[in-house]
Amino acid sequence: MKRSVSLIILLLVSALIAACGGPQAGGVTPTAAPPTGATPAPAKPTEADCPKPEVLCVGLVTDVGEIDDKSFNQSAWEGVKRAEAELGAIVNYVETKDAKDYDANIALFTEKGYDVIVTVGFALGEATAKAAAENPNVKFIGVDQFQATTIPNVAGLIFAEDKAGFLAGVLAAGMSKSNKIAAVLGTNLVPPVVAFKEGYENGAKYLKPDIQVIATYHPGGLDTAFTDPKWGADQAKLAIDQGADVIFGAGGKTGNGALIETAANADKGVYCIGVDTDQWETVPEARPCLISSAMKLITPGVFDLIKKAQEGNFPSGNYVGEVGLAPFHDFDAKIPAELKAKIAEVDKGLRDGTISTGYKP
Amino acid sequence: MQITDTLARPSVARLPWVTIGVWGGLAILVLVAYARAPQATTAVLTSTIRQSTPIILGALAGIMCERSGVINIGIEGMMLIAAFLGFMFNVWTGDLLLATMGALLVGAAVGAFHALMSITLKVDQIIAGTVINILAVGLTGYFYQQGLTTRGKLTPVSIPVLADIPIIGPVFFSNPPITYASLVLIVVIHVLLFRTVWGLRTRAVGEHPAAADTVGIAVNRVRYINVIIGGMLAGLAGGFLTLESVGSFERNMTNGRGFVSLAVMIFGKWTPFGAWGGSLLFGFANALQSQIQFLKNQLPPWLAWIGDLPPQFIGMLPYVLTIAVLAGFVGRARPPAAIGKVYEKE
Repeated sequence: MKRSVSLIILLLVSALIAACGGPQAGGVTPTAAPPTGATPAPAKPTEADCPKPEVLCVGLVTDVGEIDDKSFNQSAWEGVKRAEAELGAIVNYVETKDAKDYDANIALFTEKGYDVIVTVGFALGEATAKAAAENPNVKFIGVDQFQATTIPNVAGLIFAEDKAGFLAGVLAAGMSKSNKIAAVLGTNLVPPVVAFKEGYENGAKYLKPDIQVIATYHPGGLDTAFTDPKWGADQAKLAIDQGADVIFGAGGKTGNGALIETAANADKGVYCIGVDTDQWETVPEARPCLISSAMKLITPGVFDLIKKAQEGNFPSGNYVGEVGLAPFHDFDAKIPAELKAKIAEVDKGLRDGTISTGYKP
Repeated sequence: MQITDTLARPSVARLPWVTIGVWGGLAILVLVAYARAPQATTAVLTSTIRQSTPIILGALAGIMCERSGVINIGIEGMMLIAAFLGFMFNVWTGDLLLATMGALLVGAAVGAFHALMSITLKVDQIIAGTVINILAVGLTGYFYQQGLTTRGKLTPVSIPVLADIPIIGPVFFSNPPITYASLVLIVVIHVLLFRTVWGLRTRAVGEHPAAADTVGIAVNRVRYINVIIGGMLAGLAGGFLTLESVGSFERNMTNGRGFVSLAVMIFGKWTPFGAWGGSLLFGFANALQSQIQFLKNQLPPWLAWIGDLPPQFIGMLPYVLTIAVLAGFVGRARPPAAIGKVYEKE
């Protein structure tokens, strides 16, 4: 009897704690209800004026996570803030605490008559398309949401990851002394990861045709491929041990593991390159080796789309945002001027189409 | 009875020739590979040790618990909790030695919790382990905050002279502290289990607790201490992940390595050296699957098809190898006889 009672209590307690955990960021109250009291913007027309056509109101719905996540959510919000400053828009955001709340959080803005709604992340694609069908007069900007079919009032902000990877490849090849560079990648099941990899490899070969590029994809599924820093660190070490001296980490936390491992070997003269955002800010542990990051410029992409929505020439379907390399920070002096010039030249070539990344989706 | 069979010291005369043949063959392969590509061979072997470290520590944890008759499927959870708190100690104190001690203590505490549940409270031992696994995912996921950073991780220490030997030097004598500790612990636990009074008592308690009791061994006390030691070993494995291998924490970062440890423990028939062989095989297969991807563009034409295989397929290699060796060479694995049974005095 005693045994079964203690067993039941244990199971209940553990189930309770497990239910509180999950994929949320720590420390937040795990309420299912969306927080309605997000800070209203201090602008002259108030939120109540949103239904009026002359007042531009922009709402942002984050993916599960915080608005100041130093990643996608924050970058998109900065684009919205720029619209507030430059276009006089009324702006507001909702932090999603649970993937079940996507629809409800979008509805918070559509009900108040917002004109433009930004939804951040691939995972919100379905909820965005649904809300767009129900609210044909509202413009939706879906960050990282590839549009397979064109919906008139949805613009998917996507990025040419292969171009960002190409620039990173040129930089890596230019900095390599051993003529061997490596990439530690998330899974090949996610197309942008493949684009980063192919671009990186071709970029390196563009600068040094005889360079050796070694790369590994995480062999696990979507559930582990981006959250396995131990694997990433092991790959980086394996690559460094056989002479690779620039490591490109592209795969969420898995890639971050590779960056931190490379930083621990920085005394051997190895460098690392981050991905998506300027990882100098997001992974300070990697600073001893981090020469740059292959960035997707979400902030200007979001701003441009809001501006186009205001001007009345909102593009439906896919809108390709800018990509580029992050600042070199402390390594600025170590990067030869001719390499910087070469990167600028390649960047220009990629933009005007005279250089192809060789990546076919 | 089979008891005498396992209680007897493993003697040299009974060494399985198949195992020797396999390892001998591997050694020759390594030498051939080294002659062709010294740098890559050394790198793969270094990676093998590195990837096998958390596995062997977890397996040693399992051996200590199960040899005394307590099933421990909570190794994964013990590793995860210790990895998390070890990381937090590192964030708070910035002292890696203190953080490692912290991870050990946390492991001991979770081990004591497991002992309390399975010995004193007489909870089903499988359930007790499952509770620890669920608890670990929930607790660490809830309390972890993004953006915590540390001042570094444990770095390799080269042992003078020995580290200069080709192949063996970089692989065995140029490692970070917890890796050295794991190599030493394999020998220590082997001696402890098979050459000391304590080990004899532990095995007696795991095989036939009633008999052990009649000769005056405090069965539950021996079990408690062994489960706590096991918890400390699992804690060290967790500390390895956050303090030595990665340098930061991520939710659910053990990624099933605790369960692989269990498989490796059975693979090694509940012996430290057997488990070490299993974890090396697992680590080597993991390193090899990365190396195959690295070599994608350099394979000779008749092997080019290997480079075109999906990484997920090559990723099965460690598991397929484990199953093949387990089924083909290891033979029937017999756990300690009293495993999973609560001991109650009649």
